Amino acid sequence: MIDLFALALTHGLLALAALRLVMRADLDRDPGESEEAPPRRGMRPPGD
Amino acid sequence: MTDYGLFLFAMGLLALGFRRPFVWVLAYCYVDILAPQQISWHLLAQLPLSLIVFVAAFGGWLAFDAKRDSRFTYRQALLCVLLVYCGCTTLTADFPAEALTKWAWVWKALVFAIFLPLTLRTRLRIEAVVLVMVLSAGAIIISAGIKTALGGGGYGYLALLVDSNTGLYEGSTLAMAAIAIIPMTFWLARHGTIFPRHWTVTLFALALTFACLLIPVGTEARTGLICIGVLAVLALRTARRRFLYMSLMAIGAFAAVPFLPQSYTSRLSTIENHQADESASTRLAVWAWTWEYAKDHPMGGGFEAYRSNKVRYQKKTTTEVSDDDTEIVSSYVVDAGRAYHSAYFEMLGEQGYPGLALWLWLQLAGLWQMERIRWKWKKRTGPDEQWQAPLANALQLAQVVYLVGAAFIGVAYQPFILMLIGLQCGLWSYLKRIDAQRIDGAARRIGGVRALSATSAPVPAPAPEAIGA
Repeated sequence: MIDLFALALTHGLLALAALRLVMRADLDRDPGESEEAPPRRGMRPPGD
Repeated sequence: MTDYGLFLFAMGLLALGFRRPFVWVLAYCYVDILAPQQISWHLLAQLPLSLIVFVAAFGGWLAFDAKRDSRFTYRQALLCVLLVYCGCTTLTADFPAEALTKWAWVWKALVFAIFLPLTLRTRLRIEAVVLVMVLSAGAIIISAGIKTALGGGGYGYLALLVDSNTGLYEGSTLAMAAIAIIPMTFWLARHGTIFPRHWTVTLFALALTFACLLIPVGTEARTGLICIGVLAVLALRTARRRFLYMSLMAIGAFAAVPFLPQSYTSRLSTIENHQADESASTRLAVWAWTWEYAKDHPMGGGFEAYRSNKVRYQKKTTTEVSDDDTEIVSSYVVDAGRAYHSAYFEMLGEQGYPGLALWLWLQLAGLWQMERIRWKWKKRTGPDEQWQAPLANALQLAQVVYLVGAAFIGVAYQPFILMLIGLQCGLWSYLKRIDAQRIDGAARRIGGVRALSATSAPVPAPAPEAIGA
């Protein structure tokens, strides 16, 4: 019974976390980050 | 019912991975920590779950994930060297068959620790790994904590979810890991975004911490008590109201003593009087043997090299003859094939001086990197700059707890801790990258302002600290 409670509680939270994660865009890209690769340090941005 | 529940959960995670492949990395962390296939006896037990999530995590990253932000840090290179070195010592091991059995899980844990940082490209991913580590270990800890509170503890008696003595299901290892996750739990409660700050989250964190503190009592692992002491002292470093914190700790410690079972207090007393305790005396004898063994085998004897040891140690037992008299009997005990009972000696015996040096370098570099992050970020005031220093602090404290516990348990390649190292590498590389991007962005903005000021009205130059901030 105790094992069942511990498993149900933690797995419920893990499932909720997984569902929230897949719905968030910032899982794969930080907010404000563009899809294009940022220029490496020391490189001129295109058009300069 | 448990069987079906675990099966559905695992399948659900795998299905969500098709939408976001990073979920498979989290699934690997979950399976590696909790081993649900060992809890299950029917559905999951028949599936090669560990292999499935291992392939899914790597395959998902290779096929679908962006690689442009992945960086390879020098600690990952150290892990690579350690992996190759362990592979070489396995080929020349004293006990080839036994060494291969250990190698079978060590290489996987090392490879995953090398791989994990490559996937940690965003803040949310870092947080997700911390959360999965805490909740997966939490499943074992909550169950064990409640059983302890209801009086079901005892050395070797506390029934965990799995009766296997491997991974986190070994009593002393669980006690060490339970104390190590306390700082990570508090970080999640304070800075988490998956479960944002709320009184229910704080309540859960407090209840989990209480369960964590009960594990050393339930398993009667003395190592766990030492770990609690170390964590309590180290937490003083960042505590805001130190006097209040110390007072509460002292009151808590005194209040807890009467509730501790007698078998626990008598076991703890052997920390001081180690000669009366066979387990402690064996440790000292095995450590002395390993020290001598390393002189003859400086490159290590491969996994499980301890099997060739034969140790002889003195044991003193005190018996009460009458009210005033006690009798001390000294006897010699001979033992063979005793395990190292220390990660440091485990590395020395199995991987020799080079292996121990590599392992120590890996650990100490982690402490140093987390300290660097802490110092660099703690003075920043931006709204998105508040979680970095506390996370570095939590991961550093967890590692210190491990390094102290590791002095008494053979957990040099503990997958949970290697995951923690992977997480540290990921945090280090992520913060280094976003810091570099911010500096680049600031420099470009200043360049733009200067170009504009050359063609139009004069604009005051921005302060130099804007670049370095």
